[in-house]
Amino acid sequence: MEILLVLTVFIPVAGALALILAPRMDYRRARVVALGTALVALGFTAVLMLAFKPGVTTPQFALGGPEGPYGFLWMERASVRFALGLDGISVWLFGLTSLLMITAIFSSWEPIRDRPALHYALLLALETGLLGLFASLDVVLFYVFFEFTLIPLFFLIGIWGGPERRRASITFFLYTLAGSLLTLLGVIALVVVHYQYGTGGLTFSIPELTRGLATVGARWPDWAKADSWTSPQVLIFLLLFAGFAIKVPMFPFHTWLPLAHVEAPTAGSILLAGVLLKVGSYGLLRFNMAMTPAGARFLFPLLATLAVVGVLYGALAALAQSDVKRLIAYSSVSHMGFVVLGMFAMNTTGMNGSAMQMINHGLTTGALFACVGVIYERYHTREMGEMSGLWARLPLFTFFFILSCLGSAALPGLNGFVGEFPILVGAFARHRLSAVLASIGMILGAYYLLWMLQRVVFGPLREPHGHEEHEPGDVPPPEHTPTGHAGPDARHGGVRPVGWHEVAGLTPLMVFIVLIGVVPDMDFNDTRPTIAAIALPYQRMDEREEEQDGPRLGLSRPVAPADAADGPLTQVESKGRR
Amino acid sequence: MITSAYDVARQSFVILLPEILLLVAATAMMTAGAFVRVPRRVWYATSVAALGAALMVLLAQGSPATDPYSSVALGDAFSFFSRVLLAFSGLIMLALAHDQVDDARAAEFFGSILMIQAGSMLVAAANELVFLFVGLELVSMPTYLLLYLSRRNATTQEAATKYFFLSIFSSGLLLFGLAYLYGLAGVSNLKALAYLSGHVLGMPQGQFALIAVVFVVAGLGFRVAAVPFHFYAPDVYQGSPTVIAALLSWVPKAIGFFAMLRTVTAVVAAGDPGSGLAHRAVVLAWVVAVATMTLGNTVALAQDNLKRLLAYSSIAHAGYLMIGVAVAFRNRPDSPFYLGAEGILFYLTAYAFMTLGAFGVIILLSTPERPVETVDDLAGLARTHPASALAMALCLFSLAGIPPLAGFWGKFALFASAFGLGRSNDGALFQSLAVIAVLNSAVGAYYYLRIIVGMYLRPPTADAPVPRFAWPTSVAVAACALLTVLVGLFPSPLITATRNAALSVMQQPDPNAPAGPVATAARSVARP
Repeated sequence: MEILLVLTVFIPVAGALALILAPRMDYRRARVVALGTALVALGFTAVLMLAFKPGVTTPQFALGGPEGPYGFLWMERASVRFALGLDGISVWLFGLTSLLMITAIFSSWEPIRDRPALHYALLLALETGLLGLFASLDVVLFYVFFEFTLIPLFFLIGIWGGPERRRASITFFLYTLAGSLLTLLGVIALVVVHYQYGTGGLTFSIPELTRGLATVGARWPDWAKADSWTSPQVLIFLLLFAGFAIKVPMFPFHTWLPLAHVEAPTAGSILLAGVLLKVGSYGLLRFNMAMTPAGARFLFPLLATLAVVGVLYGALAALAQSDVKRLIAYSSVSHMGFVVLGMFAMNTTGMNGSAMQMINHGLTTGALFACVGVIYERYHTREMGEMSGLWARLPLFTFFFILSCLGSAALPGLNGFVGEFPILVGAFARHRLSAVLASIGMILGAYYLLWMLQRVVFGPLREPHGHEEHEPGDVPPPEHTPTGHAGPDARHGGVRPVGWHEVAGLTPLMVFIVLIGVVPDMDFNDTRPTIAAIALPYQRMDEREEEQDGPRLGLSRPVAPADAADGPLTQVESKGRR
Repeated sequence: MITSAYDVARQSFVILLPEILLLVAATAMMTAGAFVRVPRRVWYATSVAALGAALMVLLAQGSPATDPYSSVALGDAFSFFSRVLLAFSGLIMLALAHDQVDDARAAEFFGSILMIQAGSMLVAAANELVFLFVGLELVSMPTYLLLYLSRRNATTQEAATKYFFLSIFSSGLLLFGLAYLYGLAGVSNLKALAYLSGHVLGMPQGQFALIAVVFVVAGLGFRVAAVPFHFYAPDVYQGSPTVIAALLSWVPKAIGFFAMLRTVTAVVAAGDPGSGLAHRAVVLAWVVAVATMTLGNTVALAQDNLKRLLAYSSIAHAGYLMIGVAVAFRNRPDSPFYLGAEGILFYLTAYAFMTLGAFGVIILLSTPERPVETVDDLAGLARTHPASALAMALCLFSLAGIPPLAGFWGKFALFASAFGLGRSNDGALFQSLAVIAVLNSAVGAYYYLRIIVGMYLRPPTADAPVPRFAWPTSVAVAACALLTVLVGLFPSPLITATRNAALSVMQQPDPNAPAGPVATAARSVARP
């Protein structure tokens, strides 16, 4: 199993190398090679997920036993280790990455004709970066994968993107780099603090750092108390936050996202929204929340404000869009606001919801972007004003589109609901107003998604004229086709029906959208123990505060199980408590 | 241990064998060049053979032991590491230079490069103030010659003159600083100086030592192109042939930092921490580092000429490297975290590959009829010449510090060394330095990215440079790109080597055990 995990991470890059070494390969063969590689990785991932034992807090599938040191030495000098392993939070993100990669490859099946081998090689390289990142048990390894993902995505946006692709790729790269370099400093600071004050010696291992930093307060009292902006935990929290908040993106740092999304090719958008944004929230949970809890608690007012403003601002901005892709991009800002709000609720309910919502958002937004790709490939426009009633033309597409919209709008019974509801419950227990405001965002979310549906798929059939300009075989020179579009099937009067590859790309996502909505426990069972460990320091701090000040209107404690409504959630509460 | 002066002299001779070999070859080539006319490739082959032989000797002898308190040259881990690095990068530079000169001047051209090699390796091995200075001058003088030799037009003249006068001026500054350093303890042996400052004198003359530090850093600041001695770099790089610009961006910078590590940082760090000298030295290095990297990065943003851009980039990298110097002023050899010197050595190694690789691609693409001058000249390179574009992209990503390439680990080591001192007296200084450096590298990524965007995301221009085939240059560029990746993926051996080198430059063995002449003197002072 340990070897299988390492293999899963590196199989995509092997496929990428094979594709790079044959740059003249035609698109038919290249896409098959890419799909084969991604399917093998997905198969291995499935084996890993089935073998994953819920209820274990230590990382699984790690070389070197459950207690560490994990993996093998990569750099002797600083004891940086090459250590891979999965725990309850990362295993689902790992699976999400493998799954969305299939969707991404299928969505580039027809449109990518310009340098296809390079395109698929970059996609696979990106997959290795993402899988490695979620499986990393070492901060330096995590960081290496974290930054490495920038390079393939930079080229994916820059070569196959829309008309503004150069600006979009540079903005994306620099914005993310600036933040992540500050995160690197934060990580180094954590290691130095742990080394100088902790008992574990010099280590870069994430589980060991998390354990060790919790005991630093005993030897360095300043560490445990965070009461001003210059407290060590607050400063380190902010350093770490810089990179992850940009990646999420949280409200004032979101400006790169609409640009990057709109310009990115469909496959890039799917992975960007589906997985790369989760890198930010995963990092927040793994580093900020788990390693600097006192800092997080001190900064709660700021963080909750940013999250709630993100939820509302993203929703309002989405309402104002006429471009479908832009609308979904802004909806990501709003939904990721929910994810971070759940985290900042600092109780097990909210954090579990947050971990769940990461997966949900990946599934629904990935599906939505794939659907937009379906439209764009046929009509070469995404303006809602130019189209309506597509139901009549593309019934199968409409089914996928409506289902993913409903999942995204948190319809009970679908996946969005089981993620956003615990987030609101958790946030309510921490701070009422933020939960109330965020639930307005949920209503707005339903509003803009349904409105989009109404404009695009309902009403009388009105098709954009864009596709008529492209005759069969009219493939302009690659330099001038940003997306290398114009499939041979776009011809007068007829629009190519949804192809088998589009169905194959979207169906697994639909299955999971329904499945998670109906059986949320299959995710919660895995996340609960890990989340309980992360939430424990917050629970202790809450209890200590209550002892000192008396209960604050009963709000600082998580809501009692009886209040938390339906089945799965009560279990979250009761099991997550200790 | 060695006792007699004869043994010491013999040991020094053995240590300096590679440099002697190079100098003999260079002198023979330059003398013979006046009398015989043979094609360029003969001179090239001779110089490669000489440098290869020097490298072999170096590898064969390893780290011979000497008495550090009486020998003029050291064979310690630092000397071994830096000389191997210099010799290896010298081979790369020779490959880049192999067709950049006409037959008539080839003998002088390659002879000068060999002399520069010998001088730079002398600096890395030097254990004596005078000897160190001789090494630095042995680098400078052939450089003047090279600047004049290659092309004889107005811009080259201007570049050469500018470089000449500033170099003389900086040598004067350096000599002044070295004199004060000598005046501190009355010895010119560097190890003895560090030992005396740490164990015996406790730096009583704080002002004296500060003057020494300021002037030595100023004098060497010219070599590494640190603010305020940077302004020659863009003009000289632009005005001189590309291969000379590559040489100028690497050799003087490397030996400048080697010399700083050999002279001031070891002495100051060993000195009594309570004297306040270390604090002032740290502040000095802080100011120089911040000014250098900020200026280099911001001005580089506005450059269109590739050589000017790389010149400002090399200034910015000098700024990052100055972080290591600031940290080294405070480091004690017992610190188990990253050392400043360690960061510098690793960064310099990575810098050698990525900078020489980037210049190498420009050399590979340039022809006398169609020189590659601006960023736009590289547009669409990924289509016209994908291999060159890939090598260039790897080097540039590495310069920008993107993992998993060599440049990232250099930055990582430097930032980590700064944070490792977070608990010391100047903790806030070091932390702020790391934050400023990080923001700088984000800014710096932009201009590297601009070149990559041009190569990969723009269509080729009508008169795109026609790639020519020159196998030594191609091999050198490929080696640089490959090493950038390999060092990035497997940094461990290099990190161990830099650690040992960094420790050896900071160590002052107990002079009571051996019985060298200076050691005896030190002992007599220590026990009145």
